[in-house]
Amino acid sequence: MASIIDIKDECALQVRDFEFTYKGADAPSLKKVTMPIAKNSITALIGPSGCGKTTLLRAFNRMHDLYPGNAYKGEIEFEGRNILDPKEDLIHLRTKIGMIFQKPTAFPMSIFDNVAYGMRLQGIKNKTELNDRVEKALKDAAIWKEVSDRLKNDANGLSGGQQQRLCIARAIAVEPEVLLFDEPTSALDPISTQGIEKLVIELKEKVSIIIVTHNMQQAARVSDYTGFMYLGELIELGHTEELFVTPKEKLTQEYITGKFG
Amino acid sequence: MTAVQKRVLVNKIILALSTLSAVVAIAFLFWILGVLVMKGVGALNWNIFIYEGAPPGYAESGLKHALVGQAILVGLATVIGVPLGILAGTYLSEYGKNSKLAHLIRDISDIMMSAPSIVIGAFVYAVVVMPMGHFSAWAGSIALAIIMIPIILRTTDDMLQLVPGTLREAAFALGAPKYKVIMDVVYRGAKAGILTGVLLGIARVGGETAPLLFTSFNDNFFTTNLNDAMPSLTVTMFNYAISPYADWQQLGWAAAFILSMFILGLNIVGRLILYFGKGK
Repeated sequence: MASIIDIKDECALQVRDFEFTYKGADAPSLKKVTMPIAKNSITALIGPSGCGKTTLLRAFNRMHDLYPGNAYKGEIEFEGRNILDPKEDLIHLRTKIGMIFQKPTAFPMSIFDNVAYGMRLQGIKNKTELNDRVEKALKDAAIWKEVSDRLKNDANGLSGGQQQRLCIARAIAVEPEVLLFDEPTSALDPISTQGIEKLVIELKEKVSIIIVTHNMQQAARVSDYTGFMYLGELIELGHTEELFVTPKEKLTQEYITGKFG
Repeated sequence: MTAVQKRVLVNKIILALSTLSAVVAIAFLFWILGVLVMKGVGALNWNIFIYEGAPPGYAESGLKHALVGQAILVGLATVIGVPLGILAGTYLSEYGKNSKLAHLIRDISDIMMSAPSIVIGAFVYAVVVMPMGHFSAWAGSIALAIIMIPIILRTTDDMLQLVPGTLREAAFALGAPKYKVIMDVVYRGAKAGILTGVLLGIARVGGETAPLLFTSFNDNFFTTNLNDAMPSLTVTMFNYAISPYADWQQLGWAAAFILSMFILGLNIVGRLILYFGKGK
């Protein structure tokens, strides 16, 4: 019954018959999800709480592997391989598929060290290169002007919105192919939210973006494609304007008009 | 008397009683500190830091031997106990988590924390002193380290668990291997708490006498030989205090004062670090 759009452009990720079961659960939390993720565009995932959108998002960088006992089934294709393969190099995968969390996660270190963290993990030690790439990442994340004179300061001294942009800078500094946003503005004020949304739209030139959001207006504002999920299934995936104006599924229609959720 | 008046009266009585109890409880601490300061400061002089122990009646007698011995014993115990405690706490918080083994270790560690320290001294006597055939600083430090480990283990475990899980996930999401996540992010986030645990652990063993009695024993002379019996402030204090000689008793007061100030200082610094570290 699901209505999944056929994406003509190149895809960053291909989800096929994906099922996910949490440790100890009887039934899978995600059921037979098949979903293309278009390259260099923004795909939003919407749906009521508990529908599995964050669970799906966290499968793309195999975050679920941090907690033993969870089970994947099906396939997620990325760069020509199935990243659910048990032999997948998760450290490499996570440098290619970055993640931004709901609450800002500035590390307890300086602003510079935060942004340089991912690069240092990759063994980049050259001072000039680090300096250049930290500056570029901070500029790309639209926070350079605010922090350029205090790079040595503790990152926890920044405001919530600044910390979130710092986290984005940290994620893009390692030049990933895909960025996963897990409700990145739900802990922020409207002005910071606006800043992050603007940034997300700018970023799609370089990366493919998947964003989970509770806020339908946000999905409508920023995304090119929107997927509506309900009870662990992907009900509909379509061009954002089409999905919000002329949804193909009755459930989608009911959700976006506020009949439930 | 109306019901309301009665309630107000009962309220006042309870308040007065509980305030009084709090004052009595804290009064003993200040009483002890007061006596220590009065007797201890009077007994302080430069000779204490210059001379080692001497028979009663000698003017040139001091506590140099015990001060240095104490520093060596506690320092060595710290070198042994801190890494073990922190690593064990790291295991519990980051690897063992809610496993049966982790819970078992936590329970045993809690029991060890309340074990009588003299029992630990007897244990070290049996497994270190007896096989070696003589008392030694090593034995004393091992006994102190055993007392220190559960304290540091538990505070490390607690403090690491206070670091938000999302911070760990954020580091993993950048492609960090687990040991890097722990060293770069988790330890940094908990460093004030861990340092406090270490200081409180040192303060705890710094005042121990019983586990030293039959491990490092005591000596009235200066030594830095770890394979020899080693003087400590606590045992020296004990010996001098129960002696019938007035000058030895004076040295005992001085030792008590110095040791108390050291431990009090460590406790205060530990709490300050926690207070300001959290404020950040």
